[in-house]
Amino acid sequence: MAQADTTKAAARSWLRREQRAGVRAARPVLVLHVIGQVLAIGQAFAAATVLARAFAGGEIPLLALAVFGTLALVRAVLSYLTEQAAFSAGAAARRRLRSDALTRLLHAGPALLRSRHSGDLATIVVDRVEALDGLFSRYVPAETFAMAGPVIVLLAVLYADPRAALIVAGFGLLVPVGMAVAGIGAAAASRTQFLALARLQARFLDRVRGIATIVLYGRAQDEAQALARAAKELRIRTMRVLRVAFLSSMVLDIAAAGAMVVLAIHYFFTLRNSGDAAFTADLWPALAVLLLTPEFFAPLRTYSAAYQDRLHATGAAESLVDLPPLPQPVPPAEIRTVNARGVTVAFDNVTLTWDPARGPALDELSFRLAAGETLVLAGPSGSGKSSVIEILLGFVHPDSGRVTLNGADITDLVPQALSRLTAWIGQRPVLFAGSIRDNILFARPEATAEEVADAARAAKLDSFVSGLPRGLDTMIGEGGYGLSGGQAQRVAIARAYLKNAPLLLLDEPTAHLDPATEKDVFESLSRLAIGRTVILASHSSAAHGFGGRRLDLRHGKAVSARGVA
Amino acid sequence: MMAPLTRILLIWGGQFIWLAIGVIISLAALEAGVGLMTVSGYAIGAAAAGVVTLPFVLRFLGVSRVVLRYLERVVTHSATFRALADLRVWFFQSLARTGAGGLGFRQAGDMLARLVGDVEALDGLYLRIILPLMGAMLLLPAIVLLIGHRSAALSIEVGVLFAIAAFVLPWIAARVSMRTGTGLAVEAGALRIAALDALTGLREVRAFAAEGRMLAAVQSKEAKLFAAQKAMAGRLALASAGAFLCAQLAVLAVLSEAGAHPAAAVAAAFLVVAAFEAISGLPRAGAAAGHAAAAAHRVMEAADAPVPVPDPADPVAMPERTTLRFEGVQFRWSPDRPLVFDGLTLEVPEGARVALLGPSGAGKSTLAALALKVVAPRSGQVTLGGTDIAFLPAALVRARIGWLGQTTHLFDDTIRANLLLARPDADEVSLWAALDSARIGDVVRALPDKLETWVGEGGTRFSGGQGRRLALARALLSPAPILILDEPCAGLDAETERAFLETLNDTAAGRTIILITHRLTGVERLDRIFRLSGGKAVAAAA
Repeated sequence: MAQADTTKAAARSWLRREQRAGVRAARPVLVLHVIGQVLAIGQAFAAATVLARAFAGGEIPLLALAVFGTLALVRAVLSYLTEQAAFSAGAAARRRLRSDALTRLLHAGPALLRSRHSGDLATIVVDRVEALDGLFSRYVPAETFAMAGPVIVLLAVLYADPRAALIVAGFGLLVPVGMAVAGIGAAAASRTQFLALARLQARFLDRVRGIATIVLYGRAQDEAQALARAAKELRIRTMRVLRVAFLSSMVLDIAAAGAMVVLAIHYFFTLRNSGDAAFTADLWPALAVLLLTPEFFAPLRTYSAAYQDRLHATGAAESLVDLPPLPQPVPPAEIRTVNARGVTVAFDNVTLTWDPARGPALDELSFRLAAGETLVLAGPSGSGKSSVIEILLGFVHPDSGRVTLNGADITDLVPQALSRLTAWIGQRPVLFAGSIRDNILFARPEATAEEVADAARAAKLDSFVSGLPRGLDTMIGEGGYGLSGGQAQRVAIARAYLKNAPLLLLDEPTAHLDPATEKDVFESLSRLAIGRTVILASHSSAAHGFGGRRLDLRHGKAVSARGVA
Repeated sequence: MMAPLTRILLIWGGQFIWLAIGVIISLAALEAGVGLMTVSGYAIGAAAAGVVTLPFVLRFLGVSRVVLRYLERVVTHSATFRALADLRVWFFQSLARTGAGGLGFRQAGDMLARLVGDVEALDGLYLRIILPLMGAMLLLPAIVLLIGHRSAALSIEVGVLFAIAAFVLPWIAARVSMRTGTGLAVEAGALRIAALDALTGLREVRAFAAEGRMLAAVQSKEAKLFAAQKAMAGRLALASAGAFLCAQLAVLAVLSEAGAHPAAAVAAAFLVVAAFEAISGLPRAGAAAGHAAAAAHRVMEAADAPVPVPDPADPVAMPERTTLRFEGVQFRWSPDRPLVFDGLTLEVPEGARVALLGPSGAGKSTLAALALKVVAPRSGQVTLGGTDIAFLPAALVRARIGWLGQTTHLFDDTIRANLLLARPDADEVSLWAALDSARIGDVVRALPDKLETWVGEGGTRFSGGQGRRLALARALLSPAPILILDEPCAGLDAETERAFLETLNDTAAGRTIILITHRLTGVERLDRIFRLSGGKAVAAAA
């Protein structure tokens, strides 16, 4: 609960900060709004002039008509430009926030996947950021203009008829005063409604996601009824709140209608009691003011409608502030690289704890591996094999102890330097949407076509690829051709060949393969291992044939070693 | 374009009264608003004539406007709530009847989530599309009649402009949004895939130092999406600007004719301003209608999907025995995919403990889908107690076979509610027994709210391993005599896995256990072991 409250508070201050930044970005929209408002006033004055002259029995003034028409055209163009500017403000904000969110996630790295699902993270980067659009393209401009717009119109009313300006301003003030007394009515109403719908939608989504489970337990009818019941209860509860909340959003209606009624009656009596000469003089301000009055309240209406956008943003803000922070840039003095000709690995009393409740994953582990040697890490799952590899990949830093590569402490290496030293093959390689070639090139984008073909051949990928109609250019990954576990692992081996790094880290590379494929893959791997320093984590008996030294782990400690220094 | 939307309206038919009352009040509120503006204009023109009742009419319209707006808000929101609840219940039932089981097996969680989003897109249909459209339909004859009273030509001119702004431009916006909607969805999908690639592949990205490349890839997809959105927003802005110009032209027409009847012209000018103002949002509503139509189409398509395994018209009696047998089964998920099984024959005797081994993709989970009648074999048969399950109702077969799959879902509800799904009448003792068997009893006992603890969305308040164990407890609670456990230990650490498999040896006595896994740990006590390979089952030593 306390955690949720902190997140909410952080999200609120994040939103305030972003809104301030949004005001700057929305300046073009605001300027266009202001110009449009001034032109609208010009139109109202022109229309009033035409009508007043018609009453006086004179010719229709063509100039006023022309002014009205010209301003109409200009305003149409302005409205188009305003929408484009609003879109740009929203797009710029989304681009900035998406890049920020993704950068933070990429920097936090693989350790994130231990606690969060990549699908949820992708939803934040894509959908949550999209949901922020309304805040920047609609809400922020509307909020600023809700003050500026009425003030501009009021000045025009003041020019036309100072007494009317008093009436309009009086009713205008009713809006903030009424909202202060009744709580921000429209806001409260739309928040209630928004939360109710969000809750109903969350339950619906939850039940639909689990529909297979419900159907297979034969409970579909019961769940449908429960869903209807929940929706009904929610409706009754929400409507009880809304009936009161809508009362306070009447303030805006009362002010707008009230101003119109009072002004119309006021002018009705003024004009009825004025003589013929005075009538014509009094007519113009009456028409101008009555045409301007709805304009006065329009920005307030737009603002209250845009409140919905802010609510959408609040939810999105909560997931964005929850992302890991950007790391502090490392001072340049500490950045180091090491010589990449053959890598010696040493673990020196290394301890690592993922979760204090479970005890340490590595417990004062020490070993040394000379350049070009192979080490097989054995032991049941959970004994710390993967932790050794994840430290060497820089996914996680040890809590205590030292890990060195060619004598350099691994925590001093910049990620790019570490990445140049290591090639890694895990349990299930992730294949990206793209061709097989793209997936191999991922290891070294600047590699030539020939180098890719060599890597594919070395990984024994060519025999299978040549059977495909488009060969290496066959699309795989999301929406593409599905590769089997063994074929996917061969793509990973090709990546490792192409990268040609001196330290090869293999983390249960055959855990999901059947025995026949496992044997094949191990053969390819042992060829890849030639001339490199290799650490292989595996509890498969097939790994015994891999040769090299062997270290048995149990609860993060070495229990037996063969040939390990 | 309209057919799926019409069907949505039919589903809402049950709430017709409420929706209709909402429409009537909403139209009355609109009339009061436009009327207030018109009469205000008329008051100026009529002042010279001295009509004394006008102040009264103005006050009446002002008060009506305020009161009716309040009633409109209350009634239309209540009606919307009723309608959208009906739509969700209907959709849930349709999905349960049709492909839902199959979808769950094929991990279509994201597709389901998108469908749920489509249902949500239909929520605004009544408030944001139907009501404004009805308002426009009411205003058009009102304007034509009121202005036509003085000048027929002017009334036709204004009427045509109004029709363009209220119907033609929104209709074009709807067409455009339907057409570009598909493109937008494609670009959004590409962005989603790029983001998912970068995040699922966080290990690869770090190992190959590809952070910059991945960020650039996502940004290039984003730029494409923004370009598509900008084109769409531009067209919509054009439609809105067009509607605005129509309104201005109408006012201009009224003004240029003002000489003949100045008093009427003032009223007409105010009427036109108010009426066009009331429909200024329609091009946007048109675009929303285009989205809604596309969403309705997808929702209907999912709801109308054929039932994959229809129940027999004339089911035979349920057999007493529970021996499960696959005989010469041939199966593929779709005609363009390879055969999963080709002549699979396999017998699981009543009360036997059997393991099915095989690499991923060998069809281990498909076997469960066949037994549960989520899919049917192309040829061959699956028999339960000697009866072909094709002749048995799916609900009764499923009552005999409990299932714990890799996609088994934990609901955002209490632990108790999640467990009771398997057996609604289970008592306290059996709930705890099931939890203890799944090795999660002590964890639950230590929670302050015990069985009433909320598990969170998809079980997120528990760790992955604990979530699996809760799902396992639910499967064990089910009274079914056959239990299919599909990778029950995925996500459990080695010790818990061992402990669970040992418990499984002791509990569930008398039940048939089918353990689907890609490798054995050695502690399982099994009667038979089958290895799936090449679409067939090969018996291995027990």
